[in-house]
Amino acid sequence: MSNAVETDRVEHDPVRTNVIETREVCRYFGTEEMQVIALDHVSLTIEKGEFTAIIGPSGSGKTTLLHLIGGLDNPSSGTIELSGENIATMSGTQLADFRRDHIGFIFQAYNLIPVLSAEENIEYIMLLQGISADRRKKRVQEMLAMVGLEGMGARRPAQLSGGQQQRVAVARAMASHPDIILADEPTANLDTKTGISLLDVMRDLNEQHNMTFVFSTHDEKIMERATRLIHLRDGAVEKDERK
Amino acid sequence: MLTGLSMIGGYVLCAFSFSLQNGSYGNAIDIFTLDHTGHIQIHKENYLKRPKIHKTINNAEEIGRLLEVEADIVSFSARVFAPALAYGDAKTSPASIFGIDVEKEPQTSRITQKVQQGEYFSASMNADGFYSAMIGQGLANTLKMNVGDELVLISQGADGSIANDIYVVSAIVGNKTSHDRQGVYLPLAAAQEFLSLGNDVHEVVIVVDHRDDARGIARTLQDKMPDVTVSPWQVVEATFFKTMEADQEGNYFTMAIIIFIVFIGVLNTVLMSVLERTREFGVLRAIGSRPINIVQMVFLETMLLALISIGIGMVLSLPLILWFTEVGFLLAEPIDAGGVAFQHLRGEFSAFVFFAPMALILSFAAVVSIPPGLRAARVLPRDALGAH
Ligand SMILES: Nc1ncnc2c1ncn2[C@@H]1O[C@H](COP(=O)(O)OP(=O)(O)O)[C@@H](O)[C@H]1O
Ligand SMILES: [Mg+2]
Repeated sequence: MSNAVETDRVEHDPVRTNVIETREVCRYFGTEEMQVIALDHVSLTIEKGEFTAIIGPSGSGKTTLLHLIGGLDNPSSGTIELSGENIATMSGTQLADFRRDHIGFIFQAYNLIPVLSAEENIEYIMLLQGISADRRKKRVQEMLAMVGLEGMGARRPAQLSGGQQQRVAVARAMASHPDIILADEPTANLDTKTGISLLDVMRDLNEQHNMTFVFSTHDEKIMERATRLIHLRDGAVEKDERK
Repeated sequence: MLTGLSMIGGYVLCAFSFSLQNGSYGNAIDIFTLDHTGHIQIHKENYLKRPKIHKTINNAEEIGRLLEVEADIVSFSARVFAPALAYGDAKTSPASIFGIDVEKEPQTSRITQKVQQGEYFSASMNADGFYSAMIGQGLANTLKMNVGDELVLISQGADGSIANDIYVVSAIVGNKTSHDRQGVYLPLAAAQEFLSLGNDVHEVVIVVDHRDDARGIARTLQDKMPDVTVSPWQVVEATFFKTMEADQEGNYFTMAIIIFIVFIGVLNTVLMSVLERTREFGVLRAIGSRPINIVQMVFLETMLLALISIGIGMVLSLPLILWFTEVGFLLAEPIDAGGVAFQHLRGEFSAFVFFAPMALILSFAAVVSIPPGLRAARVLPRDALGAH
């Protein structure tokens, strides 16, 4: 990395860099007559290194917001900038490549390809990125160790518990060196204890590697661990608190 | 899984029907040509269209020497033909004389198998100075003749003279539907003598190694023997050949339908398995796979599955087709060919039977994987992952 870039960033913002910036984002579903307002003028900035929880009751727009931030969906109006790039203007392939290189995803369930082993699941994105086999293998082992699954790389998803599967998903998300990891109710299918320990793994990665996380949840015990809470209600930001 | 099964099924079905189709076609040709037509025939020019006793081949020996050295020829045999009147004890009947080479004819036709009563004749005279004759079932019935009876033949010789002689019936051949039901088989030399033909013959019939080569060999022979006409069985039995070809076309149509059904079946199962995996493709798209990556993936998966299925299909069809070729189906009603009954329908065992379905299934798999692949590539992560 060149010094010029570093200096540039420091001049621009001496403390933090914005990873996400949404301005007046709206997302409507359905027809003119039967319109559902899933997101209603949401403006947010997420900064590098934050560990943010998006909370709110079911149907409040958490998933919709995460999909928009992750470039899986397009806003009805408003702009979304990811690492300084406006994703609204990108083509399908550009967006796919952007997701591959800049965003890690963890979903509530069915994260992993059932026919691939844990290692192969983690390796997949690096394969798409064209990383050499040696480096992929090395990084897969690092990632497995980071999420506490050393020695389980050869197992298939079906041979892993729900908590272990989600850890593999975290490892896969980390593997491609994204700017941010988005997780939509990653603990919803786990019992409280397993859910908390998954959150602890994420929190460690956040602290030790300064990885930015945004996750949604409606579990009190889980949201406790976040450093920032964004409350959504009926598609609008009701409250935004930093701890 | 289902896709694999339908591909295996498709392979076995195709291989089997190819075997059946080629086998039954080949069976029919063999049954037909080896009764008396042979694979290639040599005549004097125009004899086939308008047979006349004087249109003879007068260099049969020379032709024999040429045929002797041809590698693709299994056997050949000379014949003479003439119409005659046959007298029994009380009745007369028109008859056809077939002068055949007693030694060589059994190698070019099924004449020996067609003997129903008595014994296949010999070339020499008996102690009383009579030659033997074998007569068709129809003639035997009309003249009420049995083996051992004397038969009088009257005809016209090639030189215009009246020919008549007495023969001893040594065998009754074929049945009432045989082409030779009115026939009188005579040893070649006896017939030539009777008809004042000298050493001339009317026909030289040839059996080759592979019936499919008949046309090519006939062409080569024709070039070597410009003074006679060489005709492959397809020309000699033009009507039979055309019927056969029409039948073959009908079979191709049936095959096309079978193949189409297999095609639709495979397409359907591939599509279904893609639909089942919508979530998986949604995740793959979400984490950054390009649509083309997904199409490639479905393509490679389908091809791999096709290769595995073909492997299994080959292992399964090998014994089946081997059995079908060696043993065959027992026909409910045997096919009768001039008094020789064919009990079994047999298949063909050849590279074609195994590799044609393989090529077919592989190209299917390639074509069939494209629409589901495109479909999988169009999966929107947002829809696939649902709204939680
Ligand atoms: N694809 C869609 N089509 C129609 N309505 C949708 C769709 N996705 C979400 N919605 C609606 O948008 C609102 C917000 O949904 P969602 O973002 O899934 O909320 P949450 O994740 O907080 O439960 C809900 O009213 C939901 O019914
Ligand atoms: Mg949701």
